[in-house]
Amino acid sequence: MQRNSWSVFLAVVVALAVLPSHVWAQEKVIKIGAIYPMTGRAGLYGMDSVAAMEMAMEEINAKGGVAGYKLDALSTDSKVKPDYSVRIAKRYIEEDKVHFLFGVVSSGVGLAVTEVSKQYKKIFIGTDHAATELTVDNFQPYYFRVSNNTFQSMAAGAIYLKELQAQKPWKRIAYIGPDYAYGHSQWNELRYCLDRLGVQYEVAGEHWPKLAQPDYTPFITTIMKDKPDILVSGFWGGDTVAFIKQAIPYGLLKNVLYFHPDAGGNYELMSSMGDELPDGLVLSARHHNNWPDTELNRKFVGDFFKRTGRYPSYAAEGAYAGVYAIAYAVEKVGNPDDADALVKALEGMKLKLPEDPEGFTSYMDPDTHQIVQMQAIGVTMPNADFPPAKKMLGNWKIYKAEDLLPPKEYIEMKRKK
Amino acid sequence: MDPSFLVIQGISGLTMAMILFLVASGLTLLFGVVNVFNFAHGSFYMLGAYFAYTFVSILGFNFWVSLLLAGVAAGAFGMLMEMLFLRRIYGRAEEAGFQILLTYSFILIIDDLVKMVWGTEYKSLQRPDGFSGSVELLGMVLPSYNLAIIVLGLLVAVGSWLVLSRTRGGRIARATAIDREMLSTLGVNVPLTLSLTFGIATALGGVAGALAAPLRSVTPGAGIEVIIDSLIVVVLGGMGNFWGALLGSLIIGEVTAFAVAFVPDWASLFSFLVMIVVLIFKPEGLFSPAKVRRA
Repeated sequence: MQRNSWSVFLAVVVALAVLPSHVWAQEKVIKIGAIYPMTGRAGLYGMDSVAAMEMAMEEINAKGGVAGYKLDALSTDSKVKPDYSVRIAKRYIEEDKVHFLFGVVSSGVGLAVTEVSKQYKKIFIGTDHAATELTVDNFQPYYFRVSNNTFQSMAAGAIYLKELQAQKPWKRIAYIGPDYAYGHSQWNELRYCLDRLGVQYEVAGEHWPKLAQPDYTPFITTIMKDKPDILVSGFWGGDTVAFIKQAIPYGLLKNVLYFHPDAGGNYELMSSMGDELPDGLVLSARHHNNWPDTELNRKFVGDFFKRTGRYPSYAAEGAYAGVYAIAYAVEKVGNPDDADALVKALEGMKLKLPEDPEGFTSYMDPDTHQIVQMQAIGVTMPNADFPPAKKMLGNWKIYKAEDLLPPKEYIEMKRKK
Repeated sequence: MDPSFLVIQGISGLTMAMILFLVASGLTLLFGVVNVFNFAHGSFYMLGAYFAYTFVSILGFNFWVSLLLAGVAAGAFGMLMEMLFLRRIYGRAEEAGFQILLTYSFILIIDDLVKMVWGTEYKSLQRPDGFSGSVELLGMVLPSYNLAIIVLGLLVAVGSWLVLSRTRGGRIARATAIDREMLSTLGVNVPLTLSLTFGIATALGGVAGALAAPLRSVTPGAGIEVIIDSLIVVVLGGMGNFWGALLGSLIIGEVTAFAVAFVPDWASLFSFLVMIVVLIFKPEGLFSPAKVRRA
């Protein structure tokens, strides 16, 4: 009896193991190996990315696929651990024979996976992580990023601050951000861009809480003592929410302009804080649910909502763009196997994406393999069109994509190091 | 240097210390009485926050009632975990290793349960009515909710001490820590005592989470974020020592607050430095009597 149930169990296992490859053998498939965090506070970004990736694949497959191929993806939890993600990436390439590595939310994971991509000459499509290093210092030819990096958002931020200074003179600027690469590079890049624009300012404190610091009270009281005019913030995710919640009763956000151009304007801040979110915070993000007001963006946001029952965080649009970038390249080359031809195709890519306003199309910068996109910075204000959020960004200032790229001398300086 | 800033910074440290103490007090109680290192203690903190969110934002209960209910719910969950799982490994050889594995696995299990029940979206809880603003004291702005946390933390400290030292149940709990066999010979239901202690300790964790929810973001993974600091506090104060946990929390809170103000580049280093110094010079913790070393 027991032996019997064992053999049934084994038969099922064998059937499960054989079935998918049998199905794959039937039709030509572009295989994507996705790596996203599924747990912890980054889990939201991973879940949104996977949902948008599947949405894009279904859209393309429903139209018959690309060049005779259907898209298919594997997805594994990165656990936000670089060494673990490297193992997944290698397994994807060696055993699952994927054509593309795809994903990652953390730049730390991204920097590790890009090395695997370089070693195996497999294209890695970066969809969400923002550290500029990936396209500058640690650039390698098989890596492409389809969302803005921190340099681009900080360049837009610097122009915003320069324009603000002309209307409402400010002088003292302070920074708070997580104490790791992402937090530090934002501050360095912002100051580089401010200096380059010739903006005069005075630094009134730099604060480095650790990532996922639960309590910001002592930071808040110290910032209040320093009395900056502008507080630049480099948090992401739950840290933004916690900091703002703790700062409100101190009145910090009334006296100081809260300025958060890279990840501050992400939808999860609006959705989780509802009414409590103060008006007048200056924020941006890599994608906005209510900008640009184009048919493509409305459709993307609406379809995502229909699929998941929630509005997307910015990570979703990066994954969506990544799938379309793959489809673009395979269409040009005719197959997903010739990595070097795919690199050439991606280098010349032009792709209309949900975050592109009328009259602009995102394109790939062939030198850095960084997508070039517009950046919109907005101000929090009442808007209940995307519940449960009660506030959204508005009063947009739009910055031209070409003005936000790191200058040649910056790239050369970083690559020499 | 404006002296009022020192006072403000001191109060900032106190707020931080009190939430830390509420989490650490449950952890140290488990060390002291049940002799368990509950790695998943932070997960009960997280559960408390999610329960409070459910009671307040979904069911529309009063915040303070929800706070109590969240504690009860987290405690019930904790008791269940003790009765169904931890109880099976008491007294095993290598028990400590099993404890860490078992309670660590519960971090993952509870994280996934939270994801299934509440989803991955960040949740947020508003400060209760009457505590959303701030009061002015000697020209300083102090959020009234932060003051409430300080008062509640002190109440819990004094209340728990009274229960542990002045009630029969408290005496039994303390005796459990010393000699379980003798106690059961005397007719005390030791397994029940252990389960109840586990329930109370996890309820404290739950209350801490619920109390912190209006100040923090409620996300999966929040448990693992508080456990390290609580562990530092418990080690500082002496494992299993209640007042030690309070002192440890105050030290970590204040050291962090002033490090942030005066040595911002090295702020997160200091709590670890304090722990290292204590471990070198008084490894049994600040509040524990020095133990006789046996060869």
